[in-house]
Amino acid sequence: MNEKDGHVTRRNAVAWLLRAGAGALVAAVAAKASSRPSGERKVWQINPRKCIQCGKCETECVLQPSAVKCVHGFEMCGYCKLCFGYFKPDAARLDEAAENQTCPTGAIRRTYIESPYFEYMIDEPLCTGCGLCVKGCTNFGNGSLYLQVRHDRCVHCNVCRIAEACPAQAFSQVPASQPYLLKEKLD
Amino acid sequence: MMFSFARSTIKRSFFSVIGLLSAMVASADSRFPKPQFDTGHTVPQAAHPAFVQLVPPWADAVILAGALAMAVWLVRSVRSRRWLLAFSMLCLAWFGFIRHGCICPIGAVQNVSVAAWTGGGLPWFVVALFALPLLAALLFGRVFCGAVCPLGALQDLFIIKPQRVPKALDEVLRLLPLMVLSVGLVYAINGAGHLICRTDPFVGFFRLGAPLPMLLSGLAVLLLGFVIARPYCRYFCPYGLLLEMCARLAWKPVRITAQECINCRLCAGTCPVGAITTPRTPLGSTARIGQFRRFSVMLALAPILIVGFASVGWLSGAFIAHAHPEVALTDLLAKTTSADEDLHPEIEAFKRSGLSREKAEAQAARTVDRFRRGCAGAGAFMGLVIALRLLALTRLQRRSLHEADRGRCVACGRCFAACPKN
Repeated sequence: MNEKDGHVTRRNAVAWLLRAGAGALVAAVAAKASSRPSGERKVWQINPRKCIQCGKCETECVLQPSAVKCVHGFEMCGYCKLCFGYFKPDAARLDEAAENQTCPTGAIRRTYIESPYFEYMIDEPLCTGCGLCVKGCTNFGNGSLYLQVRHDRCVHCNVCRIAEACPAQAFSQVPASQPYLLKEKLD
Repeated sequence: MMFSFARSTIKRSFFSVIGLLSAMVASADSRFPKPQFDTGHTVPQAAHPAFVQLVPPWADAVILAGALAMAVWLVRSVRSRRWLLAFSMLCLAWFGFIRHGCICPIGAVQNVSVAAWTGGGLPWFVVALFALPLLAALLFGRVFCGAVCPLGALQDLFIIKPQRVPKALDEVLRLLPLMVLSVGLVYAINGAGHLICRTDPFVGFFRLGAPLPMLLSGLAVLLLGFVIARPYCRYFCPYGLLLEMCARLAWKPVRITAQECINCRLCAGTCPVGAITTPRTPLGSTARIGQFRRFSVMLALAPILIVGFASVGWLSGAFIAHAHPEVALTDLLAKTTSADEDLHPEIEAFKRSGLSREKAEAQAARTVDRFRRGCAGAGAFMGLVIALRLLALTRLQRRSLHEADRGRCVACGRCFAACPKN
């Protein structure tokens, strides 16, 4: 090669031209992509109004157990004695025995408050995000149980695996400062 | 299946009693009034853990820029394989295991192209993740691959007995990243998901936990890496293709030796990715004419390749479009009998959305159309790159020294250690 430092050869000039062109292309794409910046970081969340409780939150997440868990909007809860989220539809008796419970892991704790009211709490470490209780509560109760991505667990994938699999397109990206879509506060 | 059975049972047993309630399934709230507690029980508040960031987002871009600068310094001034390895381990720990491999220039390609296509909206630090390694490659070669990329660092650890990949096979396999990039961008831009993220083999390792198929494919890539060095980087990574293009135009590319090469050939066997080119005797005049003829043929072939690949893309677009949820839904609707509809949550969601079937089909047809156009464009791009590669094969190469191939060299530094003049 006949390149010498400080001398502009034809080869050299063409190389610089191509280099500048490529650099300009990268810069142009970068500038276009970052025009009209939305600013804030976004995180994944489930819209409980769109969720159909298909069960994919439990199985599709890259984490095992899933980063999606059931949460309880107590303000919406009817404190029912016969809770459709807690009891299986074919429950033989309305007591805490495992075979009567909807939740496969027994993650819902039922406490007596006063007649005829019972309070239901989610034991989050046990919850797998399967949504069985959510289905019962949504279809036949007040719908106070619903699924949410828990941000102490979520690893914030570029594209959420569950979102890609969600048949109801219930996942969306929400601002990181407001990372939950709480059903009791949605209209 | 089990659940739909359970649901139908509950419906049957309760329908007669609370038929009114079942009729309101869609808008479910407050079937049961909020209780008035006589005991003064207060309704608890559910706690929701906040989103916490390890470092502010702009810091990711600054750290990447710093890491790239460090890598350039190690490749150009320190020129030590050992230090490069140590630094790459540091980057593997940070970008891989601490940041879980998910601030990633490879994946950012999709975010950036989607944002550029749809007119912006991406924060600058995400765009910087995409642009900084490319600009570094334009100046100094693929220093990102060698020292900064956690995927590269992980594979580099598993190079045990690298075999030379035959040139023809290498050229064919090198078409794969081109395909992944083209199809991946068509997917991303048309809203069919991020193919490039889904095919990341190592993110499961970085998170220390993954679904089994992801874990197995990651292990397979690592095992393959025993004999074929950096298989993901060379034969799959779509960002590597962009880096390669930039590195070919590098201002000060990676050099094997700091001084004058003496053609001792000691470096020739050290390169695991087959990037060291050996001297060639200049061609005689008859051979030059042959080479020129080949060049003309390739030049004439270029437009045919571009048009050919574009038409293949157009034809395969309808097939590739099935990855899009809208198109997949109409497929499902078409082949599902009304008895089986309960088995598919997609159909349940579709019914609840209240969209008419004709409308959904029209929407899907528009999506297929977009895929056709996208795939035709991607095909033309593939044809162009292949034509350029074919033309490059007919170049008159007048090499008298051992050099690192600008596009293939990933700046791992193994040849530095072998060079007596380094």
